Amino acid sequence: MERYDIAIIGTGPAGVSAALTAKNRNKRILLLGSRQMSEKVEKAHEIRNYPGLPFVKGEELAAAFRDQLDRMEIEITEKRIGAVYAMGDYFALQAGEEMPEAKAVILATGVASAKTLPGEEALLGRGVSYCATCDAPLYRGRTAAVIGYSPREESEAAFLSEVCSRVMYFPMYPEGPVLPDKVEVIREKPAEILKTEDGPTVVTAAGKYPADGVFVLREAVAPAQLVPGLETDGAHVKVNRRMETNLPGVFACGDITGTPYQYVKAAGEGNVAAISAAAYLDRRENRKE
Amino acid sequence: MVKKINGQEFAAEAMKAPVAVVDFNATWCGPCRMLAPVLEDISEKYEGKVSFFSVDVDEAPGLAMQYRVNSVPCLVLLKNGEFADQSVGFRPEPQLTAWIDSNLK
Repeated sequence: MERYDIAIIGTGPAGVSAALTAKNRNKRILLLGSRQMSEKVEKAHEIRNYPGLPFVKGEELAAAFRDQLDRMEIEITEKRIGAVYAMGDYFALQAGEEMPEAKAVILATGVASAKTLPGEEALLGRGVSYCATCDAPLYRGRTAAVIGYSPREESEAAFLSEVCSRVMYFPMYPEGPVLPDKVEVIREKPAEILKTEDGPTVVTAAGKYPADGVFVLREAVAPAQLVPGLETDGAHVKVNRRMETNLPGVFACGDITGTPYQYVKAAGEGNVAAISAAAYLDRRENRKE
Repeated sequence: MVKKINGQEFAAEAMKAPVAVVDFNATWCGPCRMLAPVLEDISEKYEGKVSFFSVDVDEAPGLAMQYRVNSVPCLVLLKNGEFADQSVGFRPEPQLTAWIDSNLK
């Protein structure tokens, strides 16, 4: 399989800036994201402090990003990355059925707005799971509670209902849900997940719902979940001034590293991250010789 | 080397080892497949000190239940057959070796 020098995840100002700089340094890059670039950029009404582009509209900035990438012959690979695994001297990126590999990774995914529930992280892997299709077989014939943040998660709850004896579903959105009859829909807002003698328990204002497993399914993937072993500070990835994370070969830039959430700051950090990643790769090459 | 074992071999081998790391995994689990080669590497470094085993939770559901494996991959560290610690999910090699070392002290 082809192994890239740098995989860049995200196509906002940070990811685009990192891609341009890495390409300039003759690195073989894999840019993962969307031709729409970034929802946050696309939706910006007007940006007044982006140097050189006075009063630029978000959609104009996104179009300019696309144009600049095209002219630099940088392709965008439209794949959602489920996880990044540090395999030793390379990284494996889980992109659906495919597993592209890279020697370094730049995280520019933006900031996940979803906050975790109290108790969720402490019980992760000890009764709380983020992946129904992954862990469902462990709960065969047992009780599962599913906290679903979007209708997209309903298929996972339906899948669980084929395996588990009982499935409770807590929709965190107003519409639907469309689920098999066997699934009990509970329209109450989970406030926390508690560890009790009866197993992990979903606590709402109205009651307590013990289960054998609690599945928390949301669109935004927290950074520590995206890259196992990554050191984070809440929703943000810890970096130094060189945009290095605690994992050698993994860099982060843009909103994911913390406030201020500014387009210009993101672009600047993307530039630094790419230069650091290039230097990391060069050091590695020199060591081998 | 990481040795694949079943429930009976678990009692005969993993429980008898002074220090054993048992990788509870499943064929359908993506992170398990990624962890396997990392663990294989680690096992070479601890040769003669720590024994490494692999258990398929679908083949040994009783063992998985007994060690409260709620998510895979799950590494269970045994000292003289007694449960000492567990590590859940994929983790990079330096973090896993640090975890094993902290249990060897």
